[in-house]
Amino acid sequence: MSFESFVALRYLAASRKRAHVALISTISVLGLAVGVAALIISLALLSGFQDRIRAQMAERSAHLVVSPARGDRLAEPEAVRRALAALPGVLAVEPAIEGRGWLSDASGRSTTPIRFRNMPRGSERTVAGDAGFPSARLSSSAAARVDAAAGSLVRVLSSRTRLSPVGPIPIEILLRVVAVRRGSMLEKAADLEVSESIARLLTGTASGARAYEARLTDPGRAEIEARRIATALGSAYRVQTWRDLNAPLSFALRLEKVVIFATVALVILVAALNIVSNVALLVVEKKRDLGVLTSLGATPGALARIYLTLGAAIGGVGTAGGVAVGVLASALLDRFHVVPLPSDVYLLSHVPFAVHPGEVALVALFAFATALAAAVLPARAAARLAPGEAVRLSR
Amino acid sequence: MLAIRATHLSKTYAGEGAPVTVFTDLSFELEPGVFAAVMGPSGVGKSTLLHLLGGIDRPDGGRVEIFGDSLEDLSPRDRARVRNERIGFVFQFHHLLPEFTAEENVSIPHRIAGLASDDALARARELLARVGLADRGDHRPRALSGGEQQRVAIARALARGPSLLLADEPTGNLDADSAASVFELLETLHRERGMTTVLVTHNPDLATRCDKIFTMSQEGIRPAAGFSGRG
Repeated sequence: MSFESFVALRYLAASRKRAHVALISTISVLGLAVGVAALIISLALLSGFQDRIRAQMAERSAHLVVSPARGDRLAEPEAVRRALAALPGVLAVEPAIEGRGWLSDASGRSTTPIRFRNMPRGSERTVAGDAGFPSARLSSSAAARVDAAAGSLVRVLSSRTRLSPVGPIPIEILLRVVAVRRGSMLEKAADLEVSESIARLLTGTASGARAYEARLTDPGRAEIEARRIATALGSAYRVQTWRDLNAPLSFALRLEKVVIFATVALVILVAALNIVSNVALLVVEKKRDLGVLTSLGATPGALARIYLTLGAAIGGVGTAGGVAVGVLASALLDRFHVVPLPSDVYLLSHVPFAVHPGEVALVALFAFATALAAAVLPARAAARLAPGEAVRLSR
Repeated sequence: MLAIRATHLSKTYAGEGAPVTVFTDLSFELEPGVFAAVMGPSGVGKSTLLHLLGGIDRPDGGRVEIFGDSLEDLSPRDRARVRNERIGFVFQFHHLLPEFTAEENVSIPHRIAGLASDDALARARELLARVGLADRGDHRPRALSGGEQQRVAIARALARGPSLLLADEPTGNLDADSAASVFELLETLHRERGMTTVLVTHNPDLATRCDKIFTMSQEGIRPAAGFSGRG
């Protein structure tokens, strides 16, 4: 053990026996621990919600979307489809067929403009026992505008036209509403989802698509696969991942985390002020000893290092305690659903907490570095001490 | 080569009100191997002189040379090494570190020099035995008598085998018997180790047992009149 740590640790151990120093040291350690624990719990709370939002993002969005770099139709849709299907870990590749039209109830009253698109193939359903009407899923807002519910019939009028003996007339179709979706907080979804064949009929596209979408077994690999397919297809195509599609929300989530970190980290900064006064007190108390150590050959740098070691020890104990409390509390709060939520409002029955090891490491590093920085000022004072005076004045 | 050569030293402290000038032009020389006593009234600057000679304080003017090396020309790190290896300090109030045992106190100069803990403690025990405290090594300073505390302080000052020992009234705070035995120990170690020793004392009986006596006053420091050395 170095001379500096030898002296610092002994000072720390001995300070437990002197009530006022012990009290201040305890406050320093506790203050830091409380700050660290608060930061870990706040971030775990935020991560708990954000993880759910990201999971929904990954579940509801297409993981990879290939669209033309210019224009609104793919030049070689089949090449794009094959390239996507050839990627490792691809679950499904589907065309995206979208358009605009008007929605009204079966009687033709209360018309509202809508966007429609084809629904993912896996989720196509028809109402049991229904004879001729193709099924559709409606967003809750569109459903409210035309006063429709699950089971109702709705009428869709496309902006495309077909030729009839009396001239071009809009394409019109009756659909059975099989489900009403809640509004999504994710990327702007279509109001009306229909089967691929209906979508093709409404948009008048017999083949091809505006874009191709793929779902992956592991959404985390989307960026890697996106780079791979961008290289394969060249610059005529634009490749986006589910993260790109939800970029504004992802940015908002990250910003939210940064703001929470910055706000709660203030607790740690306040605790650091405690450490400054704690270490400064030990410098003043040990002034004579510092003079003696100088007479024995200690350099000013060595004296400073004694107090930096003290700061590191207080910081280490406080940080470790805070991490233990924070991680344990987050785990218990999550495990035992301690904070309930009204599930009809939030889609969740309790507040979720998720501890991310990377965030814990960042908090620990920040707290320890702050504690160490707090010891710098008193340590420099110890190094600048006039040793002769220190030995002379204290008896 | 002189053991100590201090020329035209001046030192002023920033007092609470006006600055306090301790001395303005003080010169002092001492040959190697001499056991010298410095006497004089309180407040005349005897301790300050020792601190300047030992390099724990810096003069405002003048130079201090220890065995030919000018302390003023050394970097703070080198000056610290000179204090560690070549100069030993004994203070009036033992100034042992209260959190450490006797042998840990004596081991500190070795630890500062970078010796491993075991080695430093072994050497400390050896030296404690030499000053007659073999069985007191694991006592804290609080548990030792005044005389014992000062013996530990002497052992600590001698830990690195210094060639210059500076002792600032080491017996000033002890009863007559302890004072005599501490002085004897200093005297014996001085001869045994061939050191140069400067002893500040108010005790004329002890002073007359030294090789030389210097008296310090406002006018400066000079050899005592009518004392031509012991023996």
